[in-house]
Amino acid sequence: MIEDLRRLEEDALAAIAAAADPGELERLRVRYLGRREGLVSAALRRLGRLSPEERPAAGAAANRAKAAVAGALKDRLAELEAASAPARDEADLTLPARAAWRGTIHPVSRVIDDVWAIFRSLGFTRARGPEADTEWYNFVALNTPLDHPAADEQDTLYLGPGLLLRSHTSPVQIRTMERYPPPIRIIAPGMVYRRDAYDATHTPAFAQIEGLVVDEGVTFVDLKATLAEFARRFWGPGTRVRFRPSFFPFTEPSAEVDVKRVIAREDGGGEETGWIEIMGAGMVDPAVLDNVGYDSERYTGWAFGMGPARVALLRHGVRDLRLFYENDMRFLGQFA
Amino acid sequence: MKVSYRWVRDVAPGIGLAPADAVERLALRGAPVEEVVDLAHGLEDVVVGRVIETAPHPNADRLTLCRVAGPGGEVPVVCGAPDVREGGYYPFAPVGAVLPGGFAIGRRRIRGERSEGMLCSERELGLGEDHAGIMLLKGRYEPGEPFAAAAGLDDVRFDVEVTPNRGDLLSHVGVARELHPEGQGGIALPALPGTASVPAPSFARGTSESGSAGVRIAIRNPALCPRYLGAVIRGVAVGPSPRWLAGRLRAAGARPVNNVVDATNYVMLELGQPLHAFDLAKLAGSTIVVGPARSGESLLALDGGELSLTPEMLTIRDAERPVAVAGVIGGRDSGVTGESADILLECALFEPRQVRATRRALGMSTDASHRFERGVDPAAMETAVTRAAALIAAVAGGAPEGEVIDVHPAPWEAPAVTLRPSRVRRLLGVDFAADEIAGLLAPLGYAATRREPDELEVVVPGHRARDTLREVDLVEEVARTHGYDAFPEVMSPYRPGTVPDHPLFRLEDGLRAALAAAGISEAQTPALGPARHGDVPLRNPMSRDEGYLRRDRLPGLLAHVERNMARGVRDVRLFEIGTAFAPVAGAPPRESSRVAAVLTGRRSPPHWSVPAEPFDVHDIAGVLELVAAEAHPGARVVPAGQGAAPAPYAAGRCYELVTGAGEAVGWGGEVDPGAVDLPPWAGAVVGAEVVLPSLPAAKPEVIARELPDHPASERDLAFLVPRRVAVGDLLDAARKAAGKLLEAVEVFDLYRGDDLPAGTRSVALRLRFRARGRTLTDREVDKACRRVIGRVKEETGVEPRV
Repeated sequence: MIEDLRRLEEDALAAIAAAADPGELERLRVRYLGRREGLVSAALRRLGRLSPEERPAAGAAANRAKAAVAGALKDRLAELEAASAPARDEADLTLPARAAWRGTIHPVSRVIDDVWAIFRSLGFTRARGPEADTEWYNFVALNTPLDHPAADEQDTLYLGPGLLLRSHTSPVQIRTMERYPPPIRIIAPGMVYRRDAYDATHTPAFAQIEGLVVDEGVTFVDLKATLAEFARRFWGPGTRVRFRPSFFPFTEPSAEVDVKRVIAREDGGGEETGWIEIMGAGMVDPAVLDNVGYDSERYTGWAFGMGPARVALLRHGVRDLRLFYENDMRFLGQFA
Repeated sequence: MKVSYRWVRDVAPGIGLAPADAVERLALRGAPVEEVVDLAHGLEDVVVGRVIETAPHPNADRLTLCRVAGPGGEVPVVCGAPDVREGGYYPFAPVGAVLPGGFAIGRRRIRGERSEGMLCSERELGLGEDHAGIMLLKGRYEPGEPFAAAAGLDDVRFDVEVTPNRGDLLSHVGVARELHPEGQGGIALPALPGTASVPAPSFARGTSESGSAGVRIAIRNPALCPRYLGAVIRGVAVGPSPRWLAGRLRAAGARPVNNVVDATNYVMLELGQPLHAFDLAKLAGSTIVVGPARSGESLLALDGGELSLTPEMLTIRDAERPVAVAGVIGGRDSGVTGESADILLECALFEPRQVRATRRALGMSTDASHRFERGVDPAAMETAVTRAAALIAAVAGGAPEGEVIDVHPAPWEAPAVTLRPSRVRRLLGVDFAADEIAGLLAPLGYAATRREPDELEVVVPGHRARDTLREVDLVEEVARTHGYDAFPEVMSPYRPGTVPDHPLFRLEDGLRAALAAAGISEAQTPALGPARHGDVPLRNPMSRDEGYLRRDRLPGLLAHVERNMARGVRDVRLFEIGTAFAPVAGAPPRESSRVAAVLTGRRSPPHWSVPAEPFDVHDIAGVLELVAAEAHPGARVVPAGQGAAPAPYAAGRCYELVTGAGEAVGWGGEVDPGAVDLPPWAGAVVGAEVVLPSLPAAKPEVIARELPDHPASERDLAFLVPRRVAVGDLLDAARKAAGKLLEAVEVFDLYRGDDLPAGTRSVALRLRFRARGRTLTDREVDKACRRVIGRVKEETGVEPRV
């Protein structure tokens, strides 16, 4: 009996494995497991004729065979169904991607963002002030008497008597110090205006970034260290920084800051540029501190001003500033 | 300031720097060199030629046949210049020479006549723009000698950038002071050729007036003219300068004029003291009075301009009339000419602000006014007048007569400034001992004496008497002489500042990121525009197109849509963040920060899988919602009322952005085609502009909702909506009727077709219902849908489609 069952199971499993479609499987199911005619079912029925000693072993074998056949039927059906599922279109992966429009942030804004990120990490916050301002804020409070030749350096656009478009972001120094006590640690990005015609290096309106630090114990050494640190973070670790004496009415001593960048070559080496002027800076003139009511004996400070458009020119190899203000989609789109 | 490096070395023997090293040192001393010109560059082949005789060209009216004595004897040369003279010396490029532009001289025949070389103009030699005539060399030369040396051009010229505080650098002596290792101590003015025999003058001094040699000088405004020196030189012969003098001026970028004028210019370029020579015969009454102009007076200036004078201007006058504007320019009628024999040499000091105000009022700037504005060394005046008088006598003949007249209302005293070494340390961050400071200042001409343990008294030299009168000015001189590079770079610990980060910057950053992510590129346009775009005029605009401050930003962006399209760029998506200006009577204009955006062209990049669709008003509504989410949380985008479309939007296609408080803070919509100048192929342009809050509040924190725990039920309802009914009203009615079980309603289909009754569209809504904590029954949902249908019919008259 047990031997018969084993042979029956073998035959059934072989037939199931060879079945080619679900219809044949259904026939096999009926042939082996069908309630009345099924061979396994018939074997189970025959158990009753066996002696009580033989019955348990034979019963277990019969049930095992039934379960094995049922499992094999189920697995083969899944196999056949998987194989007969309709085939999907093949994707041609070389077709162009489906993209959305990409918008870009203006290269000058990107410079301002990067400058801000560096100064933010050095403990600075951002301040702002009006673009239309008075002679007091733009010149006089900044230690620039209107009858001094320094007032010529920037040809100013006027709105009315004593009223002008700021020619630099330095008025924000005054407005910030008038409103807040030391310590001051700010940058002030903003638009400024000059009476300049458009050419490769001038536009009548352009962005500037002011910086101002005022506290007790702030020195020229600190100015040099902070601005050199900024320059190396912005232009790369190999950057050399040079400070040269200069003149601004609202700082003394005053400095121009130059950098020598290392441009990476294809062979992995680097090449140094010449000295490039990147900003003006200096120790805040005590007269400026006096003008805002700070005690200029107790507090010292330093300030800087830089033109992000000029930096963007250098950074992106642009030869003509006007490209930044023509807003041609083909130009702006490159800064994605 | 253009300086001849050879001249600089002549006034301070001992400067051993190669030109490149001198340039570097000047940069590190605050006087960067903008340009270095090797004056002899390219002139190696050019020699001095002498025109022996001239004859008209037989075949050409404008050409002259010359015999030119050059290096290899006399050769024939055809010359095209109208003014070639027999006996004149000219730069001559013989056969075989190559000129600075690369032009090679060969043997030629010009209109049938042989020409073996070329007489050159300044332009052909790269010396200037003058090409009208060939360059006549005044003085005597050896035919064939190298031109560069003969013309004083075997030299290097520096163009030094001089900041407004450094009037002392507007002279060769000033530049030499920065270059010589001993500074001021290294200055030793060389004796000028031919001046050894001129005796040192004595001075006829007076406090308000004085005289000598038949000339009287008086100062009426001592505050504006602290000193006036006048020297009389009689019997000069005005003519060309000797070659050394002309060469020097040329090397320093100045044009030789005549021996007398050249001598005054020489001393000005050397010492920085402007000088002026009057023709004494033209001065009525042989008198000089320094005083204000009278109303209605005018002066014919040396440069030929007719100047209208006002009583605010200081003049130099003779007995009858003004003969010069003090410190600015001389008069033509009293100037030196070829006939002048007796000269009055002026060496005066004028108050800087007065000179500046006057020259600005006259709309001019001269070498003299430039120097007076920046301060002239009051201690060098006697040297200057003595040197100039001797030089005139040496190069123009004649002899000084009498004493130098010296009207000096208040003798100049060198100012003294107190300098504390502790202050130096507090500003510079480095400890300098008192004698170290004195040692750093001495080469610049400052004399520092220790008064107290922490106090130096510093006597300021005349050449820095205008810009170093405060302690901090001297601190800068200490830093400059020490060398900025010599200071260490050690960042100090810092305290956080008191100024909060301005929230408008954060809002602008957020908007930039959001709009760029939405596919729109940031533009930058100036806030200046034409009259129709603004209400705040500029007083001194560059042009009419930029004469006003913009009241809105969108028109500026639209101009850039036009510009892109004019270049054939059809897909334009730009935004900008910038300031707009509104007028306020008697005060600065009111400013507001704005964000503006424009969209035109295709809504997405071309792709084979989707048909190209143009942007429309619904896209700009989306931009408004995006901006609102950042800038005005809670504000709603609503259609502007009928006829309420502000420029430049088209009527009926305009939205408003309205805050919870009911204030309109933005607009958007389709731009009226009449408001932009676009090519015929351009599609619709949609745009928007939103006023940003000047002090944005922090965005409210997100309070997260729990996720739903039971499934939703969806129902679709379609309505046949006539044109007069707004879909928005339909949605409002549906929302109100559906009650709080409604989670969302969406317009999932909008259909217009011929199979629908005329003037209607089919609007399909998908309503999603959900309850918290349980699954909704079909009965509840069906009931809610019936309420929606009933309410929609009641409020809009619209029936559902069956």
